[in-house]
Amino acid sequence: MNEILVLAEHRGGELRDVTFEMLGKAGALAGASGGAVTALLLGAGVRDMASRLTSYADEVLVVDHGNLTDFNSAVYQPVIAEVVKSREPSLVMVGHTAFGVDLAPSLAVALGLPLASDCIDVVLDGGAVSVTRQIYGGKVDARLSFRDSATALVTVRAAAFPVEDGARSGSVTELDTPVSDEPAFRRFVQYVEAAIGDVDITKSDVIIAVGRGIKEEENLALVEELAGLLGGVVGCSRPVVDAGWLPKDRQVGSSGKTVKPKLYVAIGISGQFQHMSGMKAAETIVAINKDPKAPIFSEADYGIVGDLFKIVPALKEKIAEARA
Amino acid sequence: MNIVVCVKQVPETAEADLKIAAGGKGIVEEGLALQINESDNYALEEALLITEEHDGDITIMTLGHESSEEVLRMSMAKGAGTAVRVADPAFDGGDAIATATALAAALKDVEYDLVLTGCMASDDGATQVGVALAELLDIPHATYVTEVEVGSGEVTVGRELEGGLIEKLTIKLPCVLGIQTGINEPRYASIMGIARASKREIELKSAGDMGLDASSVGAAGSGTVLEELTFPPVGEGADILEGTPSEASGKLADILKEKGFV
Amino acid sequence: MAVSLQEKYELLGCIQCGRCTAGCPVSMRTYLNVRRVVYDGMTGVGPTDAKGRPEAWNCTTCSNCTERCPKGVKPMELIIGLRSAAIEKGRIEPTIRDALESTFKHGNPWGRIRDKRTEWADELSVPVAAEGEAVPFLFYVGCTPAYDPRAQSIAKALVALFAAAGVEYSTLGTDESCCGNEIRRMGEDGLFEMLVEGNRELFGGHEVGTIVTASPHCMNTFKNEYGEPTPDVVHYSQLLASLLEAGKLTFKGKVEKKVTFHDACFLGKHNGIYDEPREVLEQIPGVTFEEMDRSRERALCCEGGGGRMWLEATEERGERLAETRVKDAVELGADYLVTACPFCLMTLEDAVKTSGNEGKIEIIDLAELAAMAL
Ligand SMILES: Cc1cc2nc3c(=O)[nH]c(=O)nc-3n(C[C@@H](O)[C@H](O)[C@H](O)COP(=O)(O)OP(=O)(O)OC[C@H]3O[C@@H](n4cnc5c(N)ncnc54)[C@H](O)[C@@H]3O)c2cc1C
Ligand SMILES: Cc1cc2nc3c(=O)[nH]c(=O)nc-3n(C[C@H](O)[C@H](O)[C@H](O)COP(=O)(O)OP(=O)(O)OC[C@H]3O[C@@H](n4cnc5c(N)ncnc54)[C@H](O)[C@@H]3O)c2cc1C
Ligand code: SF4
Ligand code: SF4
Repeated sequence: MNEILVLAEHRGGELRDVTFEMLGKAGALAGASGGAVTALLLGAGVRDMASRLTSYADEVLVVDHGNLTDFNSAVYQPVIAEVVKSREPSLVMVGHTAFGVDLAPSLAVALGLPLASDCIDVVLDGGAVSVTRQIYGGKVDARLSFRDSATALVTVRAAAFPVEDGARSGSVTELDTPVSDEPAFRRFVQYVEAAIGDVDITKSDVIIAVGRGIKEEENLALVEELAGLLGGVVGCSRPVVDAGWLPKDRQVGSSGKTVKPKLYVAIGISGQFQHMSGMKAAETIVAINKDPKAPIFSEADYGIVGDLFKIVPALKEKIAEARA
Repeated sequence: MNIVVCVKQVPETAEADLKIAAGGKGIVEEGLALQINESDNYALEEALLITEEHDGDITIMTLGHESSEEVLRMSMAKGAGTAVRVADPAFDGGDAIATATALAAALKDVEYDLVLTGCMASDDGATQVGVALAELLDIPHATYVTEVEVGSGEVTVGRELEGGLIEKLTIKLPCVLGIQTGINEPRYASIMGIARASKREIELKSAGDMGLDASSVGAAGSGTVLEELTFPPVGEGADILEGTPSEASGKLADILKEKGFV
Repeated sequence: MAVSLQEKYELLGCIQCGRCTAGCPVSMRTYLNVRRVVYDGMTGVGPTDAKGRPEAWNCTTCSNCTERCPKGVKPMELIIGLRSAAIEKGRIEPTIRDALESTFKHGNPWGRIRDKRTEWADELSVPVAAEGEAVPFLFYVGCTPAYDPRAQSIAKALVALFAAAGVEYSTLGTDESCCGNEIRRMGEDGLFEMLVEGNRELFGGHEVGTIVTASPHCMNTFKNEYGEPTPDVVHYSQLLASLLEAGKLTFKGKVEKKVTFHDACFLGKHNGIYDEPREVLEQIPGVTFEEMDRSRERALCCEGGGGRMWLEATEERGERLAETRVKDAVELGADYLVTACPFCLMTLEDAVKTSGNEGKIEIIDLAELAAMAL
């Protein structure tokens, strides 16, 4: 393994956590194989960010250009392709984020690189890279290797690796890779914040979250009562919002809200990573699910395996008793 | 406005007890219900809504085995005019880019203004095919799309970013959009409609028909190799509270009380 | 050109007397006006599918209108026809869509996989017929008692009663599929036909002699809509009554409760089974049985039929019929409101909560009550 290139991701002037998670993992891999960790940072006026990255990478490559202000894969992709082509790193890591999934497949096709997406682990086995990714909604792990290619491309699931303090002291290199104007075929217009309704779930200490297991809108009353008993609010997984049973601002997860309550009770939620990334940081997580193999149990502190329609009513009674 | 929608048939696994097949490279599919991939169903509905407003035809396309024709018939019952199944043993075992390569070849002699895919297949979850397809066709793309507004010669789309933020873009046609769930409310295909559709022809395209070299698709054409499937460690962190619903709930209520939530 | 509604449903006989509307339980509390629907159909004005006439989804298919019409018009069938037309266009409520898609994929409208159909019997020993094995006496469980955690206790109670009476029976395990009664009433004719075909083949393959159903809905469609030749079909209340009469079933226990009985539409109005459940009730030691005012042919509908388990009525006004029903029973001073239908069980139980009668009355299925007395 010679070089591991990590694409730094940022939005609104902030480096995103996934960047440090990937750099940490890259550092561990490099340490084991004697390679170097390189961060690649594209943006406009990003020198401050670059210096933050120096403690996580041996070298920070910066392409600073006005056309790179907002992420646009049409502008970013040729620049990144140029850098990858000239340096031939063994491994390129991109976040499996809304930004990464819009970019990585076209980068892979453009450069003819093999791509493994949404990886939760990357290992080195006698110099060869292999990855683990989850399929069937997190119920099965798949290990993939790469057919001989000088460079392997992976996208890495957010929160798959911890953020650790950086102990490197890399240098910053400004690259003069050419940057095109924003092409007419794909123009950024604006970012729009999703409106916040009358309940702000991010402010609550107790969240009772429901998923597709609740089956029908009418059944929501059951969890609302439980939330009432515990002084919390009701949150949900995406399918509940898709069905129109709860408003979008109740959705927890990667495309909804990130919450850090003291207590998070997940009811009838399987625990796919897009959901878990939004609630992993809760202090105490309780899961109620009838599938003992549901991935949510791996993240929960306490679990009850069983039918929510039997357990939630029983739990309400027991809580009332415990209070009395 | 002619639209191609790429759809995949996937097994429904949310409630099922999965088994890994002998050889460790697949799951036992027997007994699993097959259905259209969730986000693809939204993509199809979006195409139907767009053509209802702006005219045009819908071509529905899948790469898959014969069973996946059920998804094509269902799509025709909803209003797709043409159905194509990209079918060849040579496509077996391909990764997302190999799959996109075959789909791109199949699109060569189809006239389209817009290609819609789902944003992610619920089984393999690569989240790659749509974007890779666009690059192979050399047309622009956007994925995780939750809003589409058709303009003249372009579309304005909303892309869903993390944290509920929407990124608005305008994209020139033709392009590929990866549609996210929840963008619309998919309609129902009646069994009678499906029965009528099953009398219609489904065009088959093999690797040879499309002038594809078998080594560029399927397992042979894939840059990634599936080594093995395993079950993730389950319930690692969770302390599973055993007993009848009432016993388990009692234990949980005690824990919650101890932690000061009750 | 499609046949007009007027021709298809023979609406010309209608004299606009309004008896249908007067007898319609739903018209009391939603703006469904059956006479008006018939009028529009007859004169060819107004929407020709339930998309443009959403109140058509409010109908519970109780069949009151059809029974009461002096001219033999069948307003209920017209309403189902309007639903069919909406289904053909694909424009239906998502909950109905999901129930139909689930029935197509998994053989049940509850979105559950086939593999879990026998979950209710996991800790019991319930005989399942092997492939091709003859089944002279089939216990057809039905989707709701098989999957719904509340209704599962009906299936469990029946199994206990069968064992006590020495009934030799078998089930079809995970091969059992939806009967289609609700599917037909939601207007999905093609899916209904598919289910009929599949079930007839299944029954034929097992040389089924007699079927006993847990739900009156399943009994109704098997008996009246599956065509010839079909096995004999009975509702479990009929079976229990005859077992009691033959002395094969005896109650050793006692249930000292005051009870009243709610006639399910598909047991009573559709199939005239009023006496058997009462016979069973009256033989349970300790039970004091009293009728509610609106009983038998005049019984109030619980609004659980005709696909309404998957759909709320549009523009509701006033209290739900199930709430009225619960109040009637509470006024009577009953401890138990007994029914013999899983849908009634669920709608009435819900109404106990929404009408604030928790603790005052319990909803219980006849099978559960009988099993308590074993
Ligand atoms: C036997 C076997 C071996 C495999 N080996 C490998 C392997 O070695 N490496 C590997 O990475 N994967 C392997 N796979 C998985 C692979 O075939 C995936 O299906 C492929 O990677 C496509 O990714 P995805 O389905 O997750 O699509 P995504 O990229 O998640 O799908 C996005 C969208 O693309 C469209 N789309 C996806 N697939 C199709 C399709 N078939 N037809 C039409 N449209 C489609 C749909 O609109 C979908 O919503 C294997 C699968 C099998 C069955
Ligand atoms: C780009 C992208 C972004 C996404 N963003 C988000 C996001 O922000 N938030 C989010 O939540 N999802 C998100 N998703 C969707 C995510 O992938 C999953 O589809 C979703 O989280 C699944 O929701 P669920 O757990 O409620 O449903 P399912 O996965 O269907 O799980 C339902 C669970 O309920 C259990 N269950 C069923 N009945 C019962 C019962 N009676 N008693 C007990 N348990 C029962 C089942 O065992 C199952 O585990 C996103 C997807 C994509 C592609
Ligand atoms: S009861 Fe019969 S005749 Fe009278 S209005 Fe209704 S449909 Fe017409
Ligand atoms: S079947 Fe019953 S609910 Fe439906 S219209 Fe007739 S009387 Fe009203």
